[in-house]
Amino acid sequence: MLVNRKLILAHFWFAFAVFGLALCLGAWQMFVRSPLYTWISNPEWYYRSLTAHGTVMGYVFPTLVAMGFGYAITESALQQRLVGVRWAWAGFWLIVIGAIMAMVPVALGRASVLYTFYPPLIGSPFYYIGVVLVVVGSWIWVALMSVNLRVWRRAHPGEPVPLAMFANVAGSYLWAWTAVGAALELLLQIIPVALGLKTTIDAGLARVFFSWTLHAIVYFWLIPSYIAYYVIVPRAIGGRLYSDTMARLAFILFLVVAMPIGIHHTFADPEVGAGFKFIHSAFTALVAVPTLLTVFTICASVEIAARLRGGRGALGWIRALPWQNPIMLAVAFSFVMLGFGGAGGLINMSYQLDTTIHNTQWITGHFHLIFGGAIVIMYFAIAYDLWPHLTGRALPNLALVRTQLWLWFIGMIVTTFPWHWVGILGMPRRMAYYDYSNPAIAPEALSVSLSAVGALILLASGLLFLFILIRSHAQGATEAGAYRFSMPVHPVRSVPLALNSFAIWVALMIGLTVTNYGYPILTLATRHDTSVPAVYVGAH
Amino acid sequence: MSTRELFTFRNSYFSVAVGLAAGLFVLTAVAGFVVLPRLQPELKYADLWDAFCSAAGLPRRSVSSGEIPKSAHRSSEAVLTSMTLAHPSQESIGRGATLAQRCAICHGPTGISRADSPNLAGQYAAVIYKELLDFRSGARTNAVMSPFAANLSDREITDVAAYYSYLPRLPAFHPVEQHPKPRVVIYGAPMRGIAPCGSCHGSLDNKTGSPWLEGQSEAYLKAQLQAFASGQRTNDISQQMRNVARGLTPQEIDEAAAYYASQPPEIIKATD
Amino acid sequence: MTVQDDSHAAAVAERTEKRWATISVIVIVALVLLATFAGLHQATMPQGRVETIDPTRLHLAGEFVESNLGTATEPDGSVTVRAIGQQYSFTPACILVPAQTPIMLRATSADVIHGILIQGTNVNTMLVPGYVSEQFMRFEKTGEHLMPCQEFCSFGHEGMWGKVKVIDKAEFAARAKNGGRLSCVGE
Repeated sequence: MLVNRKLILAHFWFAFAVFGLALCLGAWQMFVRSPLYTWISNPEWYYRSLTAHGTVMGYVFPTLVAMGFGYAITESALQQRLVGVRWAWAGFWLIVIGAIMAMVPVALGRASVLYTFYPPLIGSPFYYIGVVLVVVGSWIWVALMSVNLRVWRRAHPGEPVPLAMFANVAGSYLWAWTAVGAALELLLQIIPVALGLKTTIDAGLARVFFSWTLHAIVYFWLIPSYIAYYVIVPRAIGGRLYSDTMARLAFILFLVVAMPIGIHHTFADPEVGAGFKFIHSAFTALVAVPTLLTVFTICASVEIAARLRGGRGALGWIRALPWQNPIMLAVAFSFVMLGFGGAGGLINMSYQLDTTIHNTQWITGHFHLIFGGAIVIMYFAIAYDLWPHLTGRALPNLALVRTQLWLWFIGMIVTTFPWHWVGILGMPRRMAYYDYSNPAIAPEALSVSLSAVGALILLASGLLFLFILIRSHAQGATEAGAYRFSMPVHPVRSVPLALNSFAIWVALMIGLTVTNYGYPILTLATRHDTSVPAVYVGAH
Repeated sequence: MSTRELFTFRNSYFSVAVGLAAGLFVLTAVAGFVVLPRLQPELKYADLWDAFCSAAGLPRRSVSSGEIPKSAHRSSEAVLTSMTLAHPSQESIGRGATLAQRCAICHGPTGISRADSPNLAGQYAAVIYKELLDFRSGARTNAVMSPFAANLSDREITDVAAYYSYLPRLPAFHPVEQHPKPRVVIYGAPMRGIAPCGSCHGSLDNKTGSPWLEGQSEAYLKAQLQAFASGQRTNDISQQMRNVARGLTPQEIDEAAAYYASQPPEIIKATD
Repeated sequence: MTVQDDSHAAAVAERTEKRWATISVIVIVALVLLATFAGLHQATMPQGRVETIDPTRLHLAGEFVESNLGTATEPDGSVTVRAIGQQYSFTPACILVPAQTPIMLRATSADVIHGILIQGTNVNTMLVPGYVSEQFMRFEKTGEHLMPCQEFCSFGHEGMWGKVKVIDKAEFAARAKNGGRLSCVGE
């Protein structure tokens, strides 16, 4: 039951449009800083592009995908019309306006501070206010998810919340809370300085606030993909979800432990005590648990599908899988990339190993593999799966879809594997130019060139993706049927109240934030001698 | 009703989750605040409480211990921030105009020099302010400027700086044929630790205290670069310019000086 | 495509379920044990104290004045390197250290966020204005390392590369005899 198709399509189309633009910028950046190109003659262009790429890919694109998918889930999983459609449009337009407001100063070179802000560097206030509007727009969505669930509960007292909606609301609550860190940094610290109301800022406190957002935001990006693993993949490949309870536990764990672990991003910083770094390091290990649960649950679900299709033997079932099915292909690629990316993540979270690769190209390689690879390929899968239901038209050509997914997978591997390698060699990140003629960094030249080739493959794949979606609008009308989600192996008749509601888990998330972040934030926020003069970037 | 049902230790989900979270927090806190500091004797904590506060990250003002070697030269004592003279008053500019009559012999009546002295018209206020402070303190010396600056008060320095920064940037008096941009100016030389000149000197961005250079005298620019490179001029705070100039080859110094002398001042960015 | 809920499917699912559950529990427990061991065995920790400092007055007084930057041999024989990062260079731009000696690096930033990364080692720390960063280092072999700034510090970031030169312990001791602060600037 998808009623508000226009709303959902608007979210997806704006998301994919800005994704396409940011992808072009990314490919350009890979190219101009590689030995394949001489020099752009103005480093600021590179940082400008980097700011736009990061802001769009980090804040705008995944937020819109999560929102659009969230609305689709609300209507199809709860089987009820979306409540608050006007508010939903208001949220959408806030994001559009915010994104444009942020991108104009960036395009003019007045906010080349990178999407991580880096105060005391300060750019145009419009940039920050634009980002705030994007976040506020997404908070409207969070509220709507909560309201719609409440409406459904009233009509269905005591019934288990459908898994898709449960996960969706968990993701929205996680985002609501994790965005608070960056919001505090922007509203209390950066924007007053950017507007000229204040002239000093505590750079250390800003980094602590940002770490609050920076880690869990990855899980917010990830949750639509995880929802797709659980509720789309088994259905699409003709199987069943292995365990509904396991799935709920995984999303609850994300909600609770994804956020109070962010200080591991400041391992190498001077403003946080070693004790808190240790606590966050230990809690970070916990976040591997829901991912492992997911990997195994989905592998089990896939195996079930294969055996139902007649697969035999310890590994022989793999051949019985429907490899012609794009969703099968996407989830397989996603898991391979998640596996490598997760292994890299284990290195980052350990203080001792992190010191060798902190802020090197390894880190950039790592999050491109996780986000650009494992997560975004599932965004593609979600779009392919939903599109016929949204447009009422079939996808033009499944072979083209498979080609697109293959290209994205190959492109991502070719881009990120050499990227990790040059990180181990000590290549710093976020530099507009590297002098490869110097013997000390000449060994990095080949790997960087390979990465640039990978980026071009990714660009081709991204454009092909947009082409497929556009073409599908011109296909003949088709009846796609009701949009449904996968059924668990054991039908869910009742769920313990704790696994059917969020009160405990939200309370625990906030409680852990207080224990893990309370002191580091308060101790810096109450001091005046840690603020330093702002450094305004560019002309403004 | 559901709240009471949920938040009770009879609810096994609640008790297990809270127990695990609290247990892990306490365990890691004990390890992080008590055990691990003890395993690092090199940190020399005074006592258990000191170790605990340090691990929690209680900020303390840095106190320098040990003897600090005397410097062979006088360093700049100017304190600059992006706010330094950012908004000079009209009165200050007016007073500066009167004072600046003394400067006109060398720096020109419109702030454009005919004598290989720096053009000051439209220069960043923080730059003039800092150099005058340094001439006065002796961090920078010059046979002509040092006696001039010696008797200036803080307010006079501020006023002169405000006045010159207020003047319009006129085309330089040294127009020569346009040079192609030298490599060192646009690329810098990263492996020698040289950023593009414009990243501080105005065409890309302005680092507070760094002048814009377009249209300045070639001889003056060259002499300053050489003085920084050789260590004769030392009033750049914490060696920020010496670090760069030392890495330049004599040919690059020539090219950069000639290039900047030939440029019009239009490409410089404002700081306000 | 949907699947009929027949008894065959249920039996298959049951078997698969048990196998995967066992594997997942083993892996999670193994990971937790591994993490615990690594944490306890290698008690290497981040810097021990949070120290604050005024970045605009580093050059006026205190340990980061120009004449005190570089490598110092302390009265107790230990070696300390003091350095600052600023747009867009490190001072000293070339750090001179002895091999096979425990060294304390103390550094801070004079303006915006920078980072010190010494290539080919695990020396890697952020410089945040307002705070002092501290890191222990030890270099086994003599030689040169590049030391790029690893954090975006505005438009000249790509030109912010320093150097570290590791020399023989005895040679360092000989040069340190005259006191003062050592560096390899201009060598």
